Amino acid sequence: MAEAHEMDVAIVGGGPAGLNAALVLAGAGASVSVIDEQARPGGQILRQPPTGFAVTDWLTGRPYTGLKRDLAAFEDSGATWRGGRSVLSIQRAPEGARREDSGGAGAFDLVTAGGEGAATYRARHVLVAGGCQDLAVPFPGWTLPGAMTVGGLQAFVKSQRIVPGGPVLLAGTHPLMLVLAEQLLEAGARIAGVVFAQGRARFAGRLGRGLLGAASGAGNLLAGAEAMARLVRSGVDVRFGDPLTGLLGRDRVEAARFASGEVVPCGLVGTGYGFVPQAELVRQAGANVRPAGRAGGWAAAVDSGFRTSVPGLYAAGETVGVAGAEAARLRGRIAGGVIADALGRRPVGDMAKARSDLAKVERFADLLDRIADPRPYFPALPAETFACRCEDVSAGEIENAIAAGAGTADAVKLRTRCGMGVCQGRNCEPTLLRLLAAEGCKDDPGFGARFPARPVRIGDLID
Amino acid sequence: MGEPDIAPEGKVDALVIGGGLIGCAAAWHLGRAGASVLLLEAGDLNRGASGQNAGSLHFQIERRFLENGEALAEQAARVVALNNLAIEDWRGLEDALDRDLHIHMSGGLMVAETAEQARLLEAKAAREQSYGLSTRLVDGDEARSIAPYLSDAVLAASHAPDEGHADPRSLTPAFAEAAAAAGAAIALRASVTAIEPRAGGFDIDYEQGGRGHRVRTDRMLVAAGVWTPEICRLANLHMPLFPVALQMNVSERAAPFMPHLIQHVGARLSMKQAHAGNVLVGGGWPSRLRRRDGSFDLAARPDLRPENLAPNLAVAARLVPELAELNLIRTWTGKTAVSADQLPIAGEVPSMPGFWVAGGGSAFTLGPTLARLVAEEMGGERQDALQVVSPARFEHLNSFMG
Repeated sequence: MAEAHEMDVAIVGGGPAGLNAALVLAGAGASVSVIDEQARPGGQILRQPPTGFAVTDWLTGRPYTGLKRDLAAFEDSGATWRGGRSVLSIQRAPEGARREDSGGAGAFDLVTAGGEGAATYRARHVLVAGGCQDLAVPFPGWTLPGAMTVGGLQAFVKSQRIVPGGPVLLAGTHPLMLVLAEQLLEAGARIAGVVFAQGRARFAGRLGRGLLGAASGAGNLLAGAEAMARLVRSGVDVRFGDPLTGLLGRDRVEAARFASGEVVPCGLVGTGYGFVPQAELVRQAGANVRPAGRAGGWAAAVDSGFRTSVPGLYAAGETVGVAGAEAARLRGRIAGGVIADALGRRPVGDMAKARSDLAKVERFADLLDRIADPRPYFPALPAETFACRCEDVSAGEIENAIAAGAGTADAVKLRTRCGMGVCQGRNCEPTLLRLLAAEGCKDDPGFGARFPARPVRIGDLID
Repeated sequence: MGEPDIAPEGKVDALVIGGGLIGCAAAWHLGRAGASVLLLEAGDLNRGASGQNAGSLHFQIERRFLENGEALAEQAARVVALNNLAIEDWRGLEDALDRDLHIHMSGGLMVAETAEQARLLEAKAAREQSYGLSTRLVDGDEARSIAPYLSDAVLAASHAPDEGHADPRSLTPAFAEAAAAAGAAIALRASVTAIEPRAGGFDIDYEQGGRGHRVRTDRMLVAAGVWTPEICRLANLHMPLFPVALQMNVSERAAPFMPHLIQHVGARLSMKQAHAGNVLVGGGWPSRLRRRDGSFDLAARPDLRPENLAPNLAVAARLVPELAELNLIRTWTGKTAVSADQLPIAGEVPSMPGFWVAGGGSAFTLGPTLARLVAEEMGGERQDALQVVSPARFEHLNSFMG
């Protein structure tokens, strides 16, 4: 860990929020590094193919245009790209190391690991723009090979044009399923169907009204409505009002069963119940989080300047609440401006316009979030089904632990090992909190956040 | 002292302060012996060092005693007699408590990588043998035949056949349940606010559920870990136990490959594969205690020291190369109490008859034994085995008190 780097601002996450913050800050003359797990900038939404790949017609859709422009601007911005690295922790630097000129905020140490070993970055201000991840929803059969989430499937298609074996069935509540189905179709996959748990009226009615009111902010969500029309024209079976109840198969997924009793043969299933923010680093650094919303999880609690409760630590993008790529771009831009101010530099760009655009986009995102609300449609969780798949802890074991007096997430963890596995609790925490709430243990703060924020190969820490 | 709202709540034969390993185990032994027992725990059971340590059962003299001169090494060697008792206790615990505590005693190796370290091992083994502990020196090849996962970096090792590990998450709750079954009352979130010695016993005031309570007892045991000095202060006693912050690394689960406890005679390392398959790597690389208002904040979780990760993991992976391929999934920090001379403190305080204390150093490995011996002493049977760890050795500090 000898290598040390110092900078004005470290940005964790090179997606739309991180890139836009970096553009504002680099434009204002600050020294900025963007640290990301992917090798190339763009985040989950762009998932740039590896440099050695020649991909024709890469993400040609309209929602990607602005993002690709950001990407091009970023390459010329003077901000430093530090790809292929995981940030494992953000801690206040020791007292003696804080610089006088950091205006009361100040210095943080970020421990990172990547293919070339561990490094420590010291920054006066840190922005966490960590994006989001699929909400993991357990149900009978969810651990069978062939059971995936829509975000995972989309990463395959976007990044390396891998066409998953099929036929692919998409099931859940989130409209992203429509966008993904079209991308899969385009890539040559066979689609067994797209089945929404909620009824058509709830879905299309709200979407239609929302689009009329907020078309300019619709971003890639507008693509959802267009995608639906094209899918139907292509003969894809898009259905509403039939919640998934479980997957069938001996060694891998062979079919999906629905509440209507229908069994749909398929080789791969992508579930889409929504997204939860990645806020582990924010929690670990001791900043406040808040319940993220309908899908569950935790969002960084920030003020209108994207400041967390820890002075000098900021959060933007999906980390402060899932609202889509366009909201992330605007939030990143605003956060960049606020940090530039704190550094005594003049940010470039029209921040007032960014704020009014953001308000519009967030209104639309909230509408979408209401449409996608998974809560009424979570599949029933029988006692023998694993709620924590890393440690093989069944829902029944968790319910027994709660009945025996384990009234908090950490107490259940201590008793059952739920959350102690390689996903570090990312996947099971929302489920555990739902089970706790069902037994009257509401408002649980969740698992205590620990180092490292990501699993890291031990060899990478010591090389 | 004005205490009009504190009502006397009767009298118990024995009162235990601290719901960790030693407190719960002592309550069990006292209850089994027929005493009426009340255990007061300020928070929840097993939340201090008892549940935060890594579960090593180490019976060889530890490295930390070997690098600070002859006198300390000799003193540590005398504790070896206690280790022999602990080996017997651990072998019988699952039967006595009638449950699976994930106790593995498949042996342990303390390794040397240089000729100089090998000489340290020889001197250590000679001391241990003179106190009746069966450790055996082996060369690198024999170490690798015992533990094929060890690398060529190992030049020699001392092998202790009874070493191993157990699960700190399950032990204390098991003692607590056994104690309750034996009739002990356990009060959680019950903070002691005053200890008043009186003729032949003590009046103890505590707060629980926003109310003050008073209980009278003949004999009391303080086993409150890092909080023990604070509790002793309520009785106007000095107890030289100091909080230290530890840091422990956990790998993802792997198929069982490392059945032994691995320590190093020349480097800070303690490593084992826990029951669930995770490899735990620690061995004295500290985290950092939080400070507040000029003092250590014992309520806060200590801060990670990232600079201590790589050196700890590096020595582990040098000895066990396949460790490098596993993912680190968790590093936890915790506190424990260490005495002024690093040996445990367990026994009756000479200047305050009826007041026992237990804790401070190796208190997981030795905890079940210290608890048993202290409980037997509280029942009226002197235990010679406790002499080496008696608080009497610090009595000079309390000669100024009174």
